[in-house]
Amino acid sequence: MRTMLLRTLFGLCVLFALSTSNLHAAPAPDLEDRTREIASELRCVVCQNLSIADSPSEMAQQMRAVVREQLEAGKSPQEIKDFFVSKYGEWVLLKPKTSGVSLLLWVLPYVVLVVGVIAALWIIRRWVSKKKSAQAAVSAATSQSPVDRAWLKQDLPEPDLDDNSAKAQLLHNRTRLKNEISELEFDFQSGKLSDADYNALKQEIETKGMTLHQQLDALPPEPTLKAPKRKSADQKLPPDRNRIRRWQLVIGGVFLMLFGLALGVMLTKSVRPRESSNDTMTGDFLTGTNSPSGETRAALTEGKQAFARQEFPKAIEAFKKVLATDPSNPEAHSYMGFILIQAGHADGALMAFDRALSQAPNLPMALWGKAMILYREKKDFAAAREIFENLLSRVPPGEERNEIAKVLAEIPTGGAQKSQRASPAPNAPVASSSAQISGKITIDPKLKASVDPNASLFIIARPAGAAAGPPLAVKKIDKPTFPLNYTLGQENVMMQGTPFTGKINITVRLDKDGNPTTRGPGDLTGDNKKNPAEVGTKNVDIVLDQVTK
Amino acid sequence: MPWRRLAIIAFIIGPILALLAFGFTRDARYITSPLIAKFATPFTITLFDGRKLTLDDLRGKAVFLNFWASWCPPCRAEARDLEAAWQKLKDKNMVFLGIALQDTDQNALEFLKEFNVTYLNGKDEAGKIAVDYGTWGIPESFFIDPQGRITYKHVGAIRAALVMAKLEEAAKGIVSAQEGRGDYQPIR
Repeated sequence: MRTMLLRTLFGLCVLFALSTSNLHAAPAPDLEDRTREIASELRCVVCQNLSIADSPSEMAQQMRAVVREQLEAGKSPQEIKDFFVSKYGEWVLLKPKTSGVSLLLWVLPYVVLVVGVIAALWIIRRWVSKKKSAQAAVSAATSQSPVDRAWLKQDLPEPDLDDNSAKAQLLHNRTRLKNEISELEFDFQSGKLSDADYNALKQEIETKGMTLHQQLDALPPEPTLKAPKRKSADQKLPPDRNRIRRWQLVIGGVFLMLFGLALGVMLTKSVRPRESSNDTMTGDFLTGTNSPSGETRAALTEGKQAFARQEFPKAIEAFKKVLATDPSNPEAHSYMGFILIQAGHADGALMAFDRALSQAPNLPMALWGKAMILYREKKDFAAAREIFENLLSRVPPGEERNEIAKVLAEIPTGGAQKSQRASPAPNAPVASSSAQISGKITIDPKLKASVDPNASLFIIARPAGAAAGPPLAVKKIDKPTFPLNYTLGQENVMMQGTPFTGKINITVRLDKDGNPTTRGPGDLTGDNKKNPAEVGTKNVDIVLDQVTK
Repeated sequence: MPWRRLAIIAFIIGPILALLAFGFTRDARYITSPLIAKFATPFTITLFDGRKLTLDDLRGKAVFLNFWASWCPPCRAEARDLEAAWQKLKDKNMVFLGIALQDTDQNALEFLKEFNVTYLNGKDEAGKIAVDYGTWGIPESFFIDPQGRITYKHVGAIRAALVMAKLEEAAKGIVSAQEGRGDYQPIR
């Protein structure tokens, strides 16, 4: 019997152990529900006002996976929410916490509701009681003694406006008091005055009226006396209601005007076409967010015109102005790219074109600029060909399209490897020693200590007699070592098609920041002492012997 | 009496208008990070060249951590700047690490090739690193000091000069409380 009992117990233990092990092995049936429950309390970080449970975005899916993983790891819902708060702040909670400053969000609406109800009840009660007292006052006014109101009813002639006699002054005051009392009645009946105020003011006016009436009676039939001094008495009168009402009108008018102005500005701002995805409804009116203004557009036009006239410093200034207000303007970046090409700074130009294309991926001018750099400077023929083909498919038939097709035909086929030096294009002018200037560049021994090892050397050629404007040819050598043998030829010409011939002035600059458009303190410069040199001359030696201050 | 009434109206309407004006100055999409001046969450990432790298391996160096994607225009805009900054800083005790988000290997590699990116780059496969760093816009850059503390965060495209300046600060452990902002777009 005992053995049988033990066997049964053992069997039950085995069954229990099996059932619990099965429980652990199978996925928790409510895991998805619990994940969804927590996810529904977390705000999606890429879509507004959707929980990560409801959002179809990839980020929401990834966040849901994190929730599920942490649940599986045994974390409590609060711990998981705290984890997301530690990463994104309380913003991530769809239900803000009921502590700290967030408590205000919970409490404030109820406080406002209660205060609103109390205020509404108070106003309604006041309004009802005023109605009642107004009715009572009207009935009281009608039952007033005839003696009190005699001064009002007495029919007296209106004085002339230019009559300064004492009687005329008293009659003027009487008219004014009559007006005041009728306004007082009106204000009281329309609920603008409390009972106490009404009675006090009315009594005051009545008293003044009675006194005035007595003074009128006391006057001789045709008084010729000077007007009595009543000014001090006038000053004690209650404030002129007409004036207060005028002030109210003025304030109301000013408020309406400001409201209209604000509405006009905001409405025109909000319905204007957006310049970019970053452009907000209000533009820079309240947030300081940059949006292309008329001034920016004018600067862009000015820059383009200066570029067309080849006034590059002016164009640079204008485009910098555009980029200061609209840092992603693709046109300005493209033009800056072209200017940098002109100055022989291919890397900078490539950056500028990439910035332009990041905003406008199909901007023809930026595509053209980038493709030309890849082709001419970087010798990345495959990438250049790809961009030219893309450009060709976008540009309508015409001169520009023919030019693109011509350059595309020039690009060597099969030269797809980057940094592979390609043979010159069939139509490109071939540099020969007779079309070059060569020599050696050295540094003045006194300035050797001033040499920056990371500086870039620019060898600049200008036609003899041209002191300003873009150079004819530029060669840039990064981190040069001296003495340095150089050659300058047709391949360094900036404007395609310009011949590298005639007499040329050669100058060199060792530029610390590598930017050809700026000359900074500490840059070393030098020039050919026998300037100008004829193209084809050898041994045009130059010494870097000056320091820019 | 009328002045009292005006004062009461102004007292009620004033705060409402002030609240509206404050609302206009805010970008509802922007999430301010609570991670600045805190220790960066450790992670392990598989680089595109197959090596594994953990953040702890970089302890003792100033780290520039950049989340990017090949489909994101502002990432394209900053790519050459980042490489230029890396070329200038690579000999110092500093590391650049790019983390591609929500991208395919092929597109990410083409991007790196197009912009000649030479610094370390890997892919956040499950998006966990992005969540750990509270990422919501792209590109996003974090500057981490040699002790592993986040010193600065920049949402959006960043210029080479700023990368160099902030990394120098990170190397010295200087924390910038204010986040930087450039052109960005929400992640997908």
